[in-house]
Amino acid sequence: MKKKLLILPAVLAVCLAVLYLLQMLLMPKYMTGKHQEGALIAEYYHNAGNNDVVFVGDCEVYENFSPITLWEEYGIPSYIRGSAQQLIWQSYYLMEETLKYEKPKVMVFNVLSMKYDTPKSTGAQSQREAYNRMTLDGMRWSVSKWNSIQASMTEEEKSWQAELSYIFPLLRYHDRWSSLEKQDFTYWFKKDQVSDNGYLMQTGVKPLGDAYHEMRPMDMNFGENSWYYLEKMTQLCKENGVQLVLIKAPALSPIWWDEWDLQIEEYAAKNDLLYVNLLDYQEEIGIDWSTDTYDAGLHLNVYGAEKAARWFGKYLQENCDLPDRRNDTALSDIWAEKVATYNQRKETKEG
Amino acid sequence: MKKILMITLALCMVLSMVACGGSETPAGNEGNSGNAASTPAADSYTFTYKGVELKLYAEAEPILTALGEPTKYTETASCAFDGLDKTYYYGNLYVQTYPENGKDYIYGWWFADDTLTTAENIYIGSTQAEVEAAYGADTFNGTSAYTIKKGEGSLSIIMKDGIVQEIQYAIILK
Repeated sequence: MKKKLLILPAVLAVCLAVLYLLQMLLMPKYMTGKHQEGALIAEYYHNAGNNDVVFVGDCEVYENFSPITLWEEYGIPSYIRGSAQQLIWQSYYLMEETLKYEKPKVMVFNVLSMKYDTPKSTGAQSQREAYNRMTLDGMRWSVSKWNSIQASMTEEEKSWQAELSYIFPLLRYHDRWSSLEKQDFTYWFKKDQVSDNGYLMQTGVKPLGDAYHEMRPMDMNFGENSWYYLEKMTQLCKENGVQLVLIKAPALSPIWWDEWDLQIEEYAAKNDLLYVNLLDYQEEIGIDWSTDTYDAGLHLNVYGAEKAARWFGKYLQENCDLPDRRNDTALSDIWAEKVATYNQRKETKEG
Repeated sequence: MKKILMITLALCMVLSMVACGGSETPAGNEGNSGNAASTPAADSYTFTYKGVELKLYAEAEPILTALGEPTKYTETASCAFDGLDKTYYYGNLYVQTYPENGKDYIYGWWFADDTLTTAENIYIGSTQAEVEAAYGADTFNGTSAYTIKKGEGSLSIIMKDGIVQEIQYAIILK
């Protein structure tokens, strides 16, 4: 009888272990190829702590600023918690989660995602869900993650099956068994760092061609939900003694309309926040759209990201009272390694 | 014992099969604007430009070939997806496409100046009264635009200071 009682938990444990291993195998790894941004959110946890500046936002942060340059030029330790099409509610919950790991002096939010007011406004369902996964799957379990999941689904998408699939991603990815790649096995148990403190390096060059023209939004006013989360960010930072800095990264498309810029300017002034639109300082930054972008002006390449970081670091130092921490020996040792990895990566990518 | 084992294994099977994702992993063949459906909705908007009929959701290649070389061309990729949204400029009209399953489809078009008119003779520069006479006041979205839906497409007339500022036709995202 006693033996039988022991068998049941043992079988269950084996079963759960098998399911866990299967889940690890079947989840996308994002280690190689074109979709490495899917790995970014999970990488933060190995680098949490001791960051004076934390960025949150979409590809406009993880492609356009080099934290290594911020360190080398100004001694500012920073991390970019960016992910592909990160929406404002996801940025808010990432901010909230970050504060459980560390208390940076400054948090920087890229305001482009203000244009997406609700989950439904962000694109077709299949793409929307895939983007959500790239931000949410990488987060460790917490109330912030759960709330971010809830905020990211449309009412129609909310179901116990969908929610359960975020808790047990195996339910979402089980059909990948037939399309497993070599990287799924190589990185089954251990992943490489694809970023340099959240910065995803690109070394290619594709010059800007014709100027961008896009359909004008029907309503130039940001939506209620976007304002709600921006206000939550403001309050969260105030309550925690963190300075919130709003930025618009230097990227030419999607177009950042003047009417949007004005609304952010007014909000920042009203709430005593710093807001800087780096598009207004392209010349001062030194961006050359024929050499500093890898995709014709949508994002900067590493040469542009270093220029943007050099300019923004000075801005942060002048406006946010950030100390130069290069005299901190322990921190310097950690960053010396990061710099070496970055340079090695740059050299390899430049081929 | 066998029963317990069978039940546990069955439970594992059920758990791993339930709640199929149904969506794609982020390596799909999509751009950032559309991918609602490539099948043209029968009653979507059409527009005849220089003798070429544009139609929402229609395959772009034959339309773009008929339109000839654009004056300007730009393309944008989404943060992480394959495929490009492409915009073609023909002097007074912009045409935008979206990718799906390796082909491009018409996402929409918009007027660049006042030389083009809608079927109801509204153009950039028309007054609010003219727009309301053509489409009805109830199509106003309450802020700054009139939206007229037709099948799976919409016509948006954006106003500024009581004057039409932009006219655009686009598919409706699902």
